[in-house]
Amino acid sequence: MFYRPAFLALAFALPLLQAATPAATNAPLKPKTPAIPEVPSFRRDVMPVFFRSGCNQGTCHGSARGKDGFMLSLFGYDPKGDYYRITQEYVGRRVNVAAPDDSLILLKAQGKVPHTGGRLFTKDSVYYQILLKWIEAGAPDDEGTVPVPVEITLSPDHMVFKAPTPAQKLKPTQQMKVTARYSDGTMRDVTDFALFSVNNPATATINKTGLLTPGGKGDGFVFARFSRFTIGSEIIVLPPNDTTYRWTNPPANNEFDRIVYDRLQKLRLLPSQLCDDETFLRRATLDLAGTLPSVAEYRAFMADNAPNKREKLVDRLIASDGFTDVWTDLWSEMLRVKGGGYAPTGTDVKAAAAYHDWIRNQIAHNRPLNEFVADQIKGTGSNLTDGPANLYTMLVHSTKFTPKAFASDFSQVFLGLRIQCAECHNHPFDRWTQDDYYGWVSFFNGLKRKQGAEPREFYIYNDPSAEPAKHLVDNRPMPATVLGGEAPVAKGVDPREALADWLTSPKNDLFTHNLANRIWAQYMGRGLVEPVDDMRISNPPANKALLDALAAHLASNGFNLRALVKEICMSRVYQLSAKPNGTNADDTRQSSRAQLRRLRADVLLDAIVKATDGDRTFNLFPKGIKAIEHYPRTTGDTNGNTFTDPFFQTFGRSDRSTVSASDTRLEPTLSQTLHFIAGDTLQDQITKGKVVPNLLAAKISPAEIVEELYIRVLSRKPDADEGKAMLALAKQAPADRKTYEDIFWSLIDSTEFLFNH
Amino acid sequence: MPTRIQRLVGQPLWAAVAFQAAITVLPAAVVTYDDQIKPIFREHCMKCHGEDEPKAGINLGSYDTAVKGGSAGAVLVAGRASASILFSAITDENEDKRMPLRNAPLSQAKIELIREWIQTGLRETEKSASLTANRDIGFHPVVTTKLDGPPPMPGNLPSSTAPAPKHPFPVVAMATSPTAPLLAIARYGHVELDDVNTRQPLGDLPFPEGQPNVIRFTPDGRVLMVAGGKPVQSGSVVLYDVRTGNRLTKVGDELDAVLSADVSPDQKLIALGGSGKSVKVYNTDDGKLRYKLTRHTDWITALAFSPDGKTLATADRAGAIHLWDAQAGAILLTLAEHKASVRTLAWRADGKMLASGGEDGVLIWWDTSDGWPAVIKNNAHQPKRSEGVFGNLPNGVLSVAFGPNGDLLSVGRDRQLRLWNPTGGAIRAIPLDAGLPIQAAISNDGKTLVAGDAGGQVRFWDAKGAPLVVAKP
Repeated sequence: MFYRPAFLALAFALPLLQAATPAATNAPLKPKTPAIPEVPSFRRDVMPVFFRSGCNQGTCHGSARGKDGFMLSLFGYDPKGDYYRITQEYVGRRVNVAAPDDSLILLKAQGKVPHTGGRLFTKDSVYYQILLKWIEAGAPDDEGTVPVPVEITLSPDHMVFKAPTPAQKLKPTQQMKVTARYSDGTMRDVTDFALFSVNNPATATINKTGLLTPGGKGDGFVFARFSRFTIGSEIIVLPPNDTTYRWTNPPANNEFDRIVYDRLQKLRLLPSQLCDDETFLRRATLDLAGTLPSVAEYRAFMADNAPNKREKLVDRLIASDGFTDVWTDLWSEMLRVKGGGYAPTGTDVKAAAAYHDWIRNQIAHNRPLNEFVADQIKGTGSNLTDGPANLYTMLVHSTKFTPKAFASDFSQVFLGLRIQCAECHNHPFDRWTQDDYYGWVSFFNGLKRKQGAEPREFYIYNDPSAEPAKHLVDNRPMPATVLGGEAPVAKGVDPREALADWLTSPKNDLFTHNLANRIWAQYMGRGLVEPVDDMRISNPPANKALLDALAAHLASNGFNLRALVKEICMSRVYQLSAKPNGTNADDTRQSSRAQLRRLRADVLLDAIVKATDGDRTFNLFPKGIKAIEHYPRTTGDTNGNTFTDPFFQTFGRSDRSTVSASDTRLEPTLSQTLHFIAGDTLQDQITKGKVVPNLLAAKISPAEIVEELYIRVLSRKPDADEGKAMLALAKQAPADRKTYEDIFWSLIDSTEFLFNH
Repeated sequence: MPTRIQRLVGQPLWAAVAFQAAITVLPAAVVTYDDQIKPIFREHCMKCHGEDEPKAGINLGSYDTAVKGGSAGAVLVAGRASASILFSAITDENEDKRMPLRNAPLSQAKIELIREWIQTGLRETEKSASLTANRDIGFHPVVTTKLDGPPPMPGNLPSSTAPAPKHPFPVVAMATSPTAPLLAIARYGHVELDDVNTRQPLGDLPFPEGQPNVIRFTPDGRVLMVAGGKPVQSGSVVLYDVRTGNRLTKVGDELDAVLSADVSPDQKLIALGGSGKSVKVYNTDDGKLRYKLTRHTDWITALAFSPDGKTLATADRAGAIHLWDAQAGAILLTLAEHKASVRTLAWRADGKMLASGGEDGVLIWWDTSDGWPAVIKNNAHQPKRSEGVFGNLPNGVLSVAFGPNGDLLSVGRDRQLRLWNPTGGAIRAIPLDAGLPIQAAISNDGKTLVAGDAGGQVRFWDAKGAPLVVAKP
């Protein structure tokens, strides 16, 4: 195995250059056309031609069934097979060593004979010349080992442009250059053989040859792919008129603020104002405790004049049961905790309860997150009594433990990676290879379930004699190897021990970044990488330095969830208003203002119940549990549609049918509106809770009743206009319960209630 | 907790040791239901397919009911494991369908016993007879019509004036004359004719159409058919007079090079096929299309007329072989056994047997009277696995040719020539020290074996397998 540098494929653009000298970075770097070797190597020279020309992409000959009778491995993961198919499958048909120019692959690529893929290159191109020379040499296979790329670099590694004005005739451009370092130490300009793309076409576009043209203001990345590598360079495009921007020097509460400010200045953004106390109280209570502040809590917080009252509030909320409930819910959603009555899957209600209780216990005791994860990885024992062993029954609900499906979901949850692409071909947009994938699957190849004393019970254990997973291409056994690892883990013991050690190490950036990103997303409404479970080189974070700092905070503080959450909530950027200023109305990614976030379905339901003093029961659960404590319980199979409560389905709670973060949906739908207007939840709770009758019985004034309702529902007092309008309504029938209930209802049905802002 | 787990892990280990001991007992010479098969059925199958509750009507608990099959018909075909539903069920790669359901698969040793039992004709006891029909697949020489005059050999043929390419074109086609010591070899843009006895070139037939993908002699050796063209440009079939080298006719105007073709013994029909997935049969007298066969679903990779001209065999890249009435184009039989591309077809001179070889590594002698695969050689050309090499090795059978005495010569991806007797017995294997052999031929007198390779080389051996040196002219 050659040297595999673990994390250097993405040479990030930070620290950024001085924006004052964009011209210096824009000097064109003319790529050198590489000299064509006398006898081109199939792997080193010929395969890259297929890659660049698109021959082996998924819609063409790279399709699993090939195209028009000819198949190549997708993006070239199987050079040996490709050589066979080109030269040996139909000897004399695809390459013609006696008359090289008449070779079918050359005629096809030039479009000289009918070709579904059309014309790919011309006779005078370097691509044609490489293939021709190779065929002229007898289309030889490579002998011995051929140097392989071990790293690629993309230059420039960052760029700052000023957006061209519409009148500007000559648009600035930048020629990108890709260099590959090979296992024998040689360097090669491979610009002509790389594929280019951008992730934000509004900011810059790039053509096939790697010539980049900036567009409108904003930030983005240009990516180059070559061999099995992807690499990105950051692009920042400043507004065309950049002279009016002045940084306002807002105070920074901590390092996170300083990093965000640094980024905002580079992008010519200004942060919004600090939010007011009412907003902060509601926001923090919903985020940290998953519920609304009570009227008493509201009045106490507003009356407090201490300068550190926000910190006191955050401390109280982080220590509350609500905090434990929220994180138990988030984890059990990720881990697909569900209980059912179908015994063969091993996901009995009792197993789900054991797992859920165990998770809750860990969160309640602020168990370091690395240990929390490691315990599950090493999970062994009965599904009914050993909570963490249910990682192996719940993550993939199935009557059989399936190592491949499990390995994919496992990496998606704990590392934010989607490596399943690499089951059939090297990951096209990340660094994971099929070798990585099958070595990874082997960690779980020995996982077995053994029927316990009763049908519901299964023992989870590792069978050390299990064979490793076999490579798809050549059936080679692939012993358990960590992602990006150079050598398999030691044999003989349970490989999950080594897996847990590696995965949960503070040095494992994949792990710390994933946790940090998911925690940040919970409080800011959006991950720095989005979706949170799709971290890859070609999906870089909105602010790499910030993600690094968040991850470092976890790693250097013993994976202390509550400590990181407090640091986030004490930052000024968490406490910013959602109201945009002149610069940041379009910003959703750089934390320059609070994002409006619709409440999660379970938090929303709990908020309704709390505001109305109502109560809500859930099927198959005892009375009195909150929505946030609920997890799907069914009498049937857990592997399927298991919302189990129509409110959850309507408001987009994940039914936990996959581990995908996107299963939790926060977008509004018509049925949500109809549910509030005509559904039973609201009216039921308002009637059951008796808030209005109790207020009427308290003999307080209509204005006080209206104020109380506002605080209950929106955690604020009505403003002057609202107060006037509501009082006018109330005065028509000051003792009529109906009127107040209508006001109550309409407050809950407001957009303001539905959102955390 | 650990002790419980240790106990769990320990158990299967102990069981495996016991089983290891059990299978070291040598199997009896003849596999029978009573001796070996019933115990396997009893252990793994009869809970669901037994006397009490025969699922799908299948009762493996007695010999008679097992052979009779279930409500949907027989599950065992004597002599043909690959066509036996029972065998497919225990070897299904889909775990959800494989028998026994929701249980570990049968051990390889047991599967082999069952395969052997089916292949050897489903014997009940050691004394019972095999159910495999006792078919006669021996070679019965046919009296060929006497040629008037000397065997047809080319007269003064000019040699090709094209400069020799740096790398010779692969020998994608090759044929020997059935009546003369004459060998025709595909070269790029022409066909080279060699004297088999002297192994020296006699001259060239120009084939400006492109690459000659198929070469065939008529049974009298007087006419040579060359088919081919330029890939994805043009394809056609040309007939030559062997003596004069004159072009007699040309049929077909294909959009791709012809990949498979043959001329009927009476020279009245030419069949051709290729990437168009259909077989076209032309009249040689007027060049008109007589009929078109569209049953194949993939490239037509091989086709051949029977020696009596009554039957046309065609094969495709998906593994299907069909037999047709050559005059009318009506289907006679479908020969289903190959799992991958069929690469080669050849009729034995007595017309009784058809040989086929494919990329699945299988070589088959078909009894053409009823389409029964009388001899199946799995892994006929299986290369040896070098250390550290995993996965499927290409093991295709690339070319077969019958000799005058009914012997068959085959070449394949194991880089060996293999000679087989008329009943499928291996006579000898000849390894090639270099090159991938892609064409095989036996001389008209049966005394010379010829192989053409991907590097354009043609090599000769005598019938004993000794190499015959090609002297420099």
